[in-house]
Amino acid sequence: MSHAELDPVYAPPFPEGALPVLRNPQLRKNVAHAIDVIQAKRGRLVAEKTDWQELRTAGSAIRAHALENLDYYLEQFEERCTAAGGHVHWAVDAAEARQIILNLLREEKASEVIKIKTMTSAEIQLNPFLETAGVKVFETDLAEIILQLGQEEPSHIVVPALHINRSQVREIFARSMGLKNLSDDPHALTAAARTYLRQKFLTIPTAISGANFLIAETGGVAVVESEGNGRMCLTLPRTMITVAGIEKVLPRYQDLEVMLQVLARSATGERMNPYTSLWTGVVPGDGPQRFYVVLLDNGRSRMLRRPVERQTLKCIRCAACMNACPVYRQTGGHAYGSVYPGPIGAILTPQLMELKHAQTLPYASSLCGACYEVCPVKINIPEVLLELRAQVTDKERKQTLRFFDPLYLGLRMANLLFARAWRFHLAQRFGRIGLGLFTRKDGWIHSLPFLGAKWTQTRDLRGLPQQTFHEWWAARERGAK
Amino acid sequence: MRTSLFITCYNDTLFPETGRAVVTLLERLGVELEFRPTQTCCGQMHANTGFRGEAFSQAKRFVQLYRDAESVLIPSSSCVAMIRDQYHGLFEELGSESLRKDFAALLPRVYELSEFLIDRLGVEDVGAYFPHRVTYHASCHGLRALHLANKPYRLLAKVKGLDLAPLANTDRCCGFGGTFSIKNAEVSSAMLATKLQDVVTTGAEYCTALDNSCLMHLGGALHRQYAGMKTIHLAQILASTEEQPAEAFA
Amino acid sequence: MSAAPTSRQRILAGIRSATAHLHPAGSAQETPVLPRDYVRRGSLSRDACLERMIERLREYDAEVVECSPGEIPAAIAAQLAQSGRKRFVAPEGLPAAWLADGVEWKIDHGLSTEEIEEAEGVVTAAFCGVAESGTITLHHSAAEGRRVLSLLPDWHLCVLRASQVVEALPEYFDRCAAPPALVTFISGPSATADIEMTRIKGVHGPRFLHVILVRDAS
Repeated sequence: MSHAELDPVYAPPFPEGALPVLRNPQLRKNVAHAIDVIQAKRGRLVAEKTDWQELRTAGSAIRAHALENLDYYLEQFEERCTAAGGHVHWAVDAAEARQIILNLLREEKASEVIKIKTMTSAEIQLNPFLETAGVKVFETDLAEIILQLGQEEPSHIVVPALHINRSQVREIFARSMGLKNLSDDPHALTAAARTYLRQKFLTIPTAISGANFLIAETGGVAVVESEGNGRMCLTLPRTMITVAGIEKVLPRYQDLEVMLQVLARSATGERMNPYTSLWTGVVPGDGPQRFYVVLLDNGRSRMLRRPVERQTLKCIRCAACMNACPVYRQTGGHAYGSVYPGPIGAILTPQLMELKHAQTLPYASSLCGACYEVCPVKINIPEVLLELRAQVTDKERKQTLRFFDPLYLGLRMANLLFARAWRFHLAQRFGRIGLGLFTRKDGWIHSLPFLGAKWTQTRDLRGLPQQTFHEWWAARERGAK
Repeated sequence: MRTSLFITCYNDTLFPETGRAVVTLLERLGVELEFRPTQTCCGQMHANTGFRGEAFSQAKRFVQLYRDAESVLIPSSSCVAMIRDQYHGLFEELGSESLRKDFAALLPRVYELSEFLIDRLGVEDVGAYFPHRVTYHASCHGLRALHLANKPYRLLAKVKGLDLAPLANTDRCCGFGGTFSIKNAEVSSAMLATKLQDVVTTGAEYCTALDNSCLMHLGGALHRQYAGMKTIHLAQILASTEEQPAEAFA
Repeated sequence: MSAAPTSRQRILAGIRSATAHLHPAGSAQETPVLPRDYVRRGSLSRDACLERMIERLREYDAEVVECSPGEIPAAIAAQLAQSGRKRFVAPEGLPAAWLADGVEWKIDHGLSTEEIEEAEGVVTAAFCGVAESGTITLHHSAAEGRRVLSLLPDWHLCVLRASQVVEALPEYFDRCAAPPALVTFISGPSATADIEMTRIKGVHGPRFLHVILVRDAS
């Protein structure tokens, strides 16, 4: 699978992107299994937490406040991080972030880097850029290694390789690590990864990470992980480069008491993930002695103006929304054509793209609301989806293309019909006649042309009754007189 | 007690029997029902597809029509959710001050069917008889937007002869989603297939719900597959008696 | 002639213009009072809290033994003997009495990564334990050691005092007089569920975690 497929600029529209997945039983089974495991664990732990709703409220308030005062907190973070020996860079867009990082690597004369998984680096398409520039990039998260060695793309924020099963992993590792007799037991596979990476951790002096949270009060950076590769990367190398979206900032260290409680429960169904690390600038004698933070905007600041859009940036990347999503369950992540899939991807990616791309993502939802119910920071995802649908439609209103969009024309017509009862009633009569042509002897429609075929490809439609409710009511009134 | 029936555009056209059942049921319960014939649509389809201006005109029409109604009864939880969740935003953005006032006054008087029966009329036993095995599908709007919780179950529990088969994964969307069923027809069908596995496993004769939109989607596939199960709106079960069974309305 | 705005200026200007309407009084604010209605303090008794900590640690397959303050050196010696390991590293500030006989010690007065990699185990103190999640927090003080020390060796023995154990995570934050520069929160050995959601323990970082819970006066 090529890298371009998770690039919203080139990705196919969601309905098209979903098709190959829908036809892949193995993939659908893997996705459903992964989701069910996490959901069950999450459900138990949330039920056990008597103050879960209060934590969500506080989490939402903390994130909202940080976003409303983002300039203040970013400047505070920069000041404190710098005072502690770090260097803070600002990148307006992905291209600038990539270049800043490459320049830092060149200053360090780094030809290899080890990486902790970071969605942000995938968002800016860092790896291929560095590889082209002659820097070898070694992912160190087990899932990321699987994807990197298997030349696959992530399909989930927290469990990126959930679409790949054990025998597929075995095949990938055996081939790329030269381990002919490797079994497909997950223990053996994990042990193979541990050995493969150990030398890299101990010898490669430059690391790149993301950040789960930036702490404004202290200039600290927090990384939340399970495997320990994060601890390796942020402790052993000489140089650390952290790339983080500007929205990652939290006002105070104490705010972690909310975030850490909701993040692990939401993401992996654990009370706490195995390792959380926080470091501040440079600490003599302990860890990297050169530390750089690259703050990434890439469309985020534009989203701050209106509350309905701003709430998107509250996201703490827990992926609870996609675990709860009945659409994601069927399609997995790749269908979204973005490094951020699922419900959060459906609202974040189009906005980062300024709606120039990913315009089908806001429609990749039945608006069931399960995502909002589980979001630990109370992002009203359905509300944002509706807002983005309105924006996409408003764009379409100005395009000639709209005259060739049957759904657009149909809805414009329907609006005219709904404006006057006589028009609506007349349309119902024509509908009865028209659809009557497709109605079979059993009173049902089995096949319709054009847009209707989208319905009848998998569902019958009962033929229109000969009398609408309002006609029945009117007749009854007449009869009663 | 009087109430004004908003039948909804799709019930009027596709499921008039649900409306007839509502009339039968309410008259049996002694509620005076009126029907304002100029009603058309609440605007949900347009709002959910991004046609906000159009949705606004329909919403405005709705409020103007029912401003003076004692209450409005709607046998469709998604339409009630539209009114409760989206009308305010539409009127804030596009409406006048007086329209906003009228809406604020009207809103508490808008009821979904099970809400009307339990909250307004205070009844759970409506004297219904429906001797069949039935499973109940909790539509997402009813579940998450209206927080109907156990209202439908309380009503079903009092229906004589009814054998309620619990549905697994009851909080998972059936995949209809309005225009989603057309714009993302394949994904919608995949979600439907998953939901039908749970529905058919119940061994029920009927699948019921408070929304004919979900039922049209579920029922359309059940019919296509010769699955031997039918869909029926809850109103029709509640209206059914020994003297006048539900089939008589269809 | 002014220079073109830097990226920093552009980003901050963009943020300020987008959020200006939220601050009629002027610039952005410090943290106001935000709703914190969640549980900030546990309700378990002291004993129940410690039981919870032990229970949660054992759920992670960490081995937990208890001792009184006077028994710490003996308890450590017993754990080291049982481990079957010989080469240990210790933080600079680890109490001398804790350096049991019968094993090789390298004290971290600036050990190289290679020297630490050769070690089979490490003994450290801790800053705090959070019972609800079975979490041990290290602030990497002199007795807790540099971060690499509790990362590379495969076997980690942590001495945790009962008086350091709290029930709820917010109580840990209350105990931080000032935010620490370095923190590691450890909740069980490392794990992954990336392959078919099968939880595998011990990817990187110590695969064996042992805790001595010291029943000191609290």
